[in-house]
Amino acid sequence: MITNPIIFYSATGLIFVFTMLALCFKNLIYSLLSSVVVFFGAALIFYLLGSEYNAIIQAAIYGLAVPVIIGVSIMFTKGKHEAGKGFTLPYLTMLFGGIFVLAFVYLMMMSLAIMPDTFHLMGIVQTTSMDNISAFSKGIFVNYVWAFELVSLLLTIVIAGISIFKKRGA
Amino acid sequence: MAEITMYHYLVLGLVLFLAGILGSMIAKNVIKVLISIEFMLTGININFVTFASYCDNANFNGYVMALFYVGIGAVELAVALYIFYLMFRKKESDNIEKYSEL
Repeated sequence: MITNPIIFYSATGLIFVFTMLALCFKNLIYSLLSSVVVFFGAALIFYLLGSEYNAIIQAAIYGLAVPVIIGVSIMFTKGKHEAGKGFTLPYLTMLFGGIFVLAFVYLMMMSLAIMPDTFHLMGIVQTTSMDNISAFSKGIFVNYVWAFELVSLLLTIVIAGISIFKKRGA
Repeated sequence: MAEITMYHYLVLGLVLFLAGILGSMIAKNVIKVLISIEFMLTGININFVTFASYCDNANFNGYVMALFYVGIGAVELAVALYIFYLMFRKKESDNIEKYSEL
């Protein structure tokens, strides 16, 4: 587990700002992009908490797969008449968001350069990865095996149901 | 600077959850409502992982629960988006107020 206050507060600020942006944007694409930042920030929080596996799952599913699905559905449902609406304010907000991210990266790099001894990142990370993995596998395949099978069944039903609906719709 | 404790992470999860509730209540667009629901799920996941990291160092049950929530969240989103797509073809609008009748 990493208990560095600067990294935690930076990640928290990033999550908070982009959550508000995602809720305030009128343009759905900008809202979606802001939510991607929030999901990656949550993955960073999971990593800080020492759960690397959850961080990878969060980044892969919520950071990449879910936005692609939502983006495709936005493309399917948006008409030509709405293109270009509300451009100036989101552009400015994205610009300030980009400046914030750059400032954050700059702050992190400068902090690492000025105070290298106070950032014992590798020292603070617990070296119990094998314990985590064994606890994970015990949790999934022993303690919660029925819940795991139920989720697998649910995913299979969703895939089969959507393909059946798609055939009927076609 | 103060040390980061469990409560910091719990407050972060709570803030994300409340932002999701706020967004799902005030958003007019269906996709924004779905994104807000994902924020709520992410806040819950942060709380699960926090409790597992700080209180359950033997079994990590919170990690497994967070993993299940991610799976369930993805399934819920896929089904909701397909229902939204079908409704959109019928109503020709993404305004949630027009979706009161299925």
